[in-house]
Amino acid sequence: MLGEGKGVVQNCAVIVQFLFGRLFGYLIFGVIAWGINRSILQAVGYREFIIGLAYVVLSIFLICYAFFRVRTSCVVQKLTGIIGRVKNTIPLFLPLFLGFFTGLSFCPPFLLALTSAADKGGLAQSILFFFMFFLGTSVFFIPAPFVGLLRSFSVMSTIGKMAAGLVGIYYLYSGIIMLVVGIKRI
Amino acid sequence: MNQDKIKPDAIIPQASLIKTLLFILPMMFLTFAILTKGKLPSDPKSLFAIVITYLFINAIFFMLLYTGKTDRFRAIFFITYAVLFVVSFITHLIEIRGSMAVSQANMLQGETPFCHIVIPMTLIPLAFTRTIIFPGTIIGSFASIASMFVLWIGVTLALGRGFCSWGCFFGGLDDGFSRILKRPVIKNINFNWTYLPYAVLIAVVLTAAISLSPTYCAWLCPYKTVTEFVEVTSFKILMQTIIFVSLFIGLVIVLPILTRRRIQCGLFCPFGAFQSFTNRINVFEVRIDKEKCVKCKRCIQVCPTFSLSEEVWEKGKTRISCTKCGKCIDSCPKKAIFFHLKGTPLSGNQRIYRILFLYPAFLFLATIAGGTIQDGIVKIIRLITTGSMFIH
Amino acid sequence: MNKLKSILGYTWAFIAFFIVLATFFGNERFSKVLASVTGMKVSPWYTGGDVISVIDHGTYRTLIHRPVFDALIGEKREGFIQINWEPSTGIPQVIEEKIDYDKDRKEDLLIILDTSTGKATLTAYSPSIVSIERIYRLKNGWAVRIVLRKPS
Repeated sequence: MLGEGKGVVQNCAVIVQFLFGRLFGYLIFGVIAWGINRSILQAVGYREFIIGLAYVVLSIFLICYAFFRVRTSCVVQKLTGIIGRVKNTIPLFLPLFLGFFTGLSFCPPFLLALTSAADKGGLAQSILFFFMFFLGTSVFFIPAPFVGLLRSFSVMSTIGKMAAGLVGIYYLYSGIIMLVVGIKRI
Repeated sequence: MNQDKIKPDAIIPQASLIKTLLFILPMMFLTFAILTKGKLPSDPKSLFAIVITYLFINAIFFMLLYTGKTDRFRAIFFITYAVLFVVSFITHLIEIRGSMAVSQANMLQGETPFCHIVIPMTLIPLAFTRTIIFPGTIIGSFASIASMFVLWIGVTLALGRGFCSWGCFFGGLDDGFSRILKRPVIKNINFNWTYLPYAVLIAVVLTAAISLSPTYCAWLCPYKTVTEFVEVTSFKILMQTIIFVSLFIGLVIVLPILTRRRIQCGLFCPFGAFQSFTNRINVFEVRIDKEKCVKCKRCIQVCPTFSLSEEVWEKGKTRISCTKCGKCIDSCPKKAIFFHLKGTPLSGNQRIYRILFLYPAFLFLATIAGGTIQDGIVKIIRLITTGSMFIH
Repeated sequence: MNKLKSILGYTWAFIAFFIVLATFFGNERFSKVLASVTGMKVSPWYTGGDVISVIDHGTYRTLIHRPVFDALIGEKREGFIQINWEPSTGIPQVIEEKIDYDKDRKEDLLIILDTSTGKATLTAYSPSIVSIERIYRLKNGWAVRIVLRKPS
């Protein structure tokens, strides 16, 4: 975006496409989380134990992600060939395509969101949970058309990591409580 | 680095006595109406308290206008308000409830006064469920939910984040402790900490929406130490109590003393972070005249909420976290910093800009604080004369 | 354009003063308007939810609230039901009552509350009933919250 030197309106159009692709990716995961709930968690008896354990493990990862430099896997990096073909054949949809695949990054906050959504039960709740997660993680793209991606990213990245640490602590506590309840039930 | 021969904090009259008195006349009428509500009390203690409060408020406003110094006199009022708020609030709770602790039964019956800090956490649940996740009453009680929302909307439209220095009944505690030492013991604070309030805001808003309970109030708010808190009846509540008392000691007392900054307000409070966004649309702002500025960095050193930095110098304005306290303006040896109205020329009359800001800001403070200061004085008189603050 | 911006700036600054006045002098009126326009209510997780059934026992009344499972969207898996007892002339020392909260004509639980000690025992007849969450002594009577769980 910075390189192409386009105006604010054109940059907004790119960002909207990118975010739409990202949203689509996230909503698919909302459905997957619901599927996990309906299939695995219903069949297994120790629901609180599994969810509690998942919360504890993933929140520890999230806290580490917040306080330490962690490189998260990005599916986009591994799809350079496909991205090249999309860029050459249907360049208009490149931001949409990129958005969809950045949404598939398996970072600790994402996995925690998946666990939390799987615990929800209803399809609507699961999808809504991922929609809220999408809103929260997409906030840092909002200033991009105006101030440039790099500068806004650095500030929002700091805030995001701090928020991740705090939310991680909250889920660690919730996970420990669920684990204790789950162990008592076993 | 140039230093002015006259100290920046010296008091030099900025306007004539007659002019100042004319300017404060409207405030004198308004504060009389607000404090008395059209009727003087017959009880001598209350009458004495009203007179003292009235004289105090108008003396402060007089000095603000006469000397041209904003922060020094604002702070006297602001800190007095915070201290007497604690006195008044705690005694009120003990009179009606017998304790500072709020029981689960009190919460069930909606007897918890609503606090402005909860507001950001209530918005998402309110939008989705049309319910307020707070154990108060909507209308008709002390600090009811709707009345506090109206107050918040009004102050947001009028002052933006100016609320934090001209209205918040907690901020004065932080402000007061930050002025105890003459020089800071801890001078260098990593600038990344200034982003923490926004992270706290995101975290508490999201967790409150997920759990449908105000997580900042339950787990973090340090001001529960001097207002009210949940009765300790479980291990979880005990943990919460330890956390908020520790945060109060650390963020409101110790760190402000050591840094001479408002640490809780500037580096933690999520409501302050939320109000920062309203500064973007508020008409009042603080600007820097780059031609007069000699980059002595005094303003950066004194700003209580870390709203000034070398980066914002270039833009000639403060960060969005500015609470419009006036400390940087008072400290500038070259008078390069000033209150300004958005849209108006930078070269315009700075005195007019300042008065146009001070009137709504001071009026807000006088109105929100007046009754509390009165009540605090009555309680102190009662303590001196009878040995107890409480009505028997 | 600059002149217009300037006029708007000064105007807004003047209006700020009147906004402050209106905020305080009109607070009661604006609060009522805000409450009615938004339709805001206190969350049922605090109030116990709306009362769906009142049983008159002569000297006291039993108020049964609706089951609360409210989530941000949809419902949570675990919730509660609140039962209040309010005196008309007086509450007996021991209240023993069978409650049918879902109006299926089958009793769901039996609650025995000793108002002298503030202790209660619960007998569940329905699989949704879990346990007593808390017992409250109110200014006007007593209340009990019972944890409910939705069947999987």
